[in-house]
Amino acid sequence: MSGTVIGEGLSIEGELTSEEEVIIHGNVRGKVTSSDAVSIAAGGIVQADIAGHSVSIAGQVTGDVSAPDRVDIQAGGRLVGDVKASRFTIADGASFKGAVDMEV
Amino acid sequence: MAQSSVIGSDTVVRGNVQGQGSLEILGRVEGDVDVTGDVVIGEAGAVLGSIDGAKISVHGAVQGDLRGKEAVLVERGGKVVGDLSAPRIGIAEGGLVRGHVRTDGEPAAAPVRRAAASPAVRSASASTGGGVGAFPPKPVAKVEPRPSPVATVSASVGATVSPGFADDDVPESESPTPRPKVEEREKPVGRRPPPPVLPSLGKGAKAKKKKDRDS
Repeated sequence: MSGTVIGEGLSIEGELTSEEEVIIHGNVRGKVTSSDAVSIAAGGIVQADIAGHSVSIAGQVTGDVSAPDRVDIQAGGRLVGDVKASRFTIADGASFKGAVDMEV
Repeated sequence: MAQSSVIGSDTVVRGNVQGQGSLEILGRVEGDVDVTGDVVIGEAGAVLGSIDGAKISVHGAVQGDLRGKEAVLVERGGKVVGDLSAPRIGIAEGGLVRGHVRTDGEPAAAPVRRAAASPAVRSASASTGGGVGAFPPKPVAKVEPRPSPVATVSASVGATVSPGFADDDVPESESPTPRPKVEEREKPVGRRPPPPVLPSLGKGAKAKKKKDRDS
């Protein structure tokens, strides 16, 4: 299906668990877990640990990010926290502070 | 700002959801929902918590109170265990609701209005004109059915009392009889001739008279 969309202006305080794609334009505090892709759109603010099959960050994230597939920080995206993923990219213009574990 | 949000069918949120825009819940939310826009709970959607929104339509299950600024609609297949309050409330055939239903917006204001309404109506008894003037049309439509039972009750009480006074003439002969007996005799008295009254009087009197005669 279309998956889960947290719109701009909406905020969730708590745990979000999903088995489908999650797109966050709004605010989430707590924890985000999905077995599918997780994207934090530009303008999205997440203060939570994120676990997804793949994670794409164009907004602001504070928390640890782990993905069996990949983690991408898009231009304009901002991540403060540790990353654990087999593939990890940081686009030009993105900001990142934390440790990286690429399971070598 | 008015972007719509979707909690997908395979998604669980444990915690509170609040903010602007509309929200469609196809999955599960365990917590309170408070949004400025419309809320739709899909057929497989479930919410364990109260929901605040402009227009709330329920196709799934909700365990908690629903407060709509515009409307609350429980659609076919929708199940709600909790109170509904909104200016407009619709419960479709096949919708289940267990809880209180209020069609006036503010839950806190409603009891105060009714408390003020009922004594006024009682004092005015049958004069509905005063009631209509005092309250807006919708609540009056709801309140009006209540006074009528009250009026009937008072009328029936009056009816039971007035025959009692009317029958005072008959039982006067046996003044010491207790009240319940008087009420029981009301019906036989109405039929005319009242068999129990005369024999009871007669038995004692006749025996005495006979004794008097014999002696």
